[in-house]
Amino acid sequence: MTTTVDARGLACPQPVILTRKAMQQSNQIQTLVDSETSMTNVSRMAKKAGWQVNVVSAEDEYRIDLQKGDGAPAASPQAVGKAEAISGPLVLVVSSDVMGRGEAELGNILVRGFFHTLGEVEPLPQTIIFYNAGVKLACEDSPVLDDLHDLESQDIEMLVCGTCLGYFELTEKLAVGLVSNMYDIAETILGAGKVVNL
Amino acid sequence: MDEYSVVLFHSASHAIRAEKVLLQVGIPNKMIPTPRQLSSDCGMALRFDRAEKDNVARTLAEHKVPINGIHAL
Repeated sequence: MTTTVDARGLACPQPVILTRKAMQQSNQIQTLVDSETSMTNVSRMAKKAGWQVNVVSAEDEYRIDLQKGDGAPAASPQAVGKAEAISGPLVLVVSSDVMGRGEAELGNILVRGFFHTLGEVEPLPQTIIFYNAGVKLACEDSPVLDDLHDLESQDIEMLVCGTCLGYFELTEKLAVGLVSNMYDIAETILGAGKVVNL
Repeated sequence: MDEYSVVLFHSASHAIRAEKVLLQVGIPNKMIPTPRQLSSDCGMALRFDRAEKDNVARTLAEHKVPINGIHAL
């Protein structure tokens, strides 16, 4: 039996929360959303939990068909034990548009130097999370945009806090990475083997 | 592949001034940490298209920004 979750008109992260609840009670779900961000967030959450995902879009609406998979979840934090979590991925957290505290002018050149160097050193983070003023670095006119594009082309996942983009009125200016929510961000940080704060 | 040179400085404040001067006269450049093989200090350098070398040297001299050498990358 298919459970339908009508999340149209709901703001992030409601569609993800409602879908997740339904996933605990049903093996087959249909979630309706009306924004691309909600569609990608719901899809990503379900894929991570090992579900099969199929999206049908019509005009501004999306129907996400979700089918519980047979195998183990891809990377569900619930299924990851403590020991495994310690050997999890390296995650870089960028919570400011400058590096360090003190002089902003200096912090600006340091952050530019950092992202330039990131392309040349090991190990690379699996995911970079941008929140608070850090989201400015992922938007148009960012001094590190070229470097971030290079990193993205090396398959480094970039999650950008949607709440923060909205706060700074930068949602339309996002130039790299995926608009993300606190669920993804919290899961990624908690599931990391190591978190580095810039 | 693009060929670059870098200009090194004695201090970060000189690098900041040089960046402004070069952008004013329209020479594209990128501020990067001084490459390891050139110096072990933690300074910043400006990377630019190698063809602009004479232009960069002359512009910074005209604007009296002290430099610590120009190197090919």
